[in-house]
Amino acid sequence: MPDHWSFVAAAYGLTAAVLLIYWRRLATKEREVEASKRLNAERSREPSITGHPRSEPASRTPLQQNQRPGAPLP
Amino acid sequence: MVKTLGWLTAAALAAGLVMAFGVAPREVTQGNVQRIMYVHVPLILASYVAFVVLAVASLVYLVRRDPAADGVAHASGEVGVMFVGLGIATGSIWGKPTWGTWWTWDARLTSVAILFVMYLGYLLLRGTIDDPERAARYCAVLGIVAALDIPLVHFSVYWWRTLHQPPSLMKPGGFTGSSSILWPLLVNLLAFILLYVYFVARRARLLRAQAEAIA
Repeated sequence: MPDHWSFVAAAYGLTAAVLLIYWRRLATKEREVEASKRLNAERSREPSITGHPRSEPASRTPLQQNQRPGAPLP
Repeated sequence: MVKTLGWLTAAALAAGLVMAFGVAPREVTQGNVQRIMYVHVPLILASYVAFVVLAVASLVYLVRRDPAADGVAHASGEVGVMFVGLGIATGSIWGKPTWGTWWTWDARLTSVAILFVMYLGYLLLRGTIDDPERAARYCAVLGIVAALDIPLVHFSVYWWRTLHQPPSLMKPGGFTGSSSILWPLLVNLLAFILLYVYFVARRARLLRAQAEAIA
């Protein structure tokens, strides 16, 4: 029976490509989450426009959590 | 820890390639195309592991309501679907030169296609429910029910007349072929199980980080 090397290359190549794409996707998403966490931490540290320090996210009331930054207080 | 596991996995995969192409002999009847077995069989067996882990983690979630168990189930399902999809694709590529067809609706191929579709549905279900607690609960039930297809896939070659050959490793009496084929197969199996653990560890960690970022 002939060796069919092209089929062997296709099977290994497809596997390698899919695994590599998945690995890179994981790395990209990890970087995105890290960047988002850093941004949230910086936002919680910077003073609000009223001059009052911003409260920590965990200590905010549900109303404060839903409020857009810079929007007037109800 | 995960980084070390990653390097260990990379080394195991490289060793698996060396074993598959440098150590394993050319098969007498099929020729070199039989080397596809060293990637096809480990992918399918690692996907069995993934779905069993998913079912156990789902059971743990239903009993304890532990989000970490749900994270493991979710990650395991994602990696399992990728592995079984690749297993089907590599099997199809192997089937064309040896059976003369890319696909046939025999018992093994049909049952593994059903397995793939069920777990694909599992991932889609997660994506369609907004409430994380409800998504985890529904998916846990589906993950346990879907695992019942694994024995059906494995034993289909005994229960029905199929074009697919019987299992190479997990069969009564163990592996009966040459050790020059067995060792490359075992090294590749270990490599793909390590790859599965590595991917699940990273994906579960990412899911945890995403949940923390949203909270």
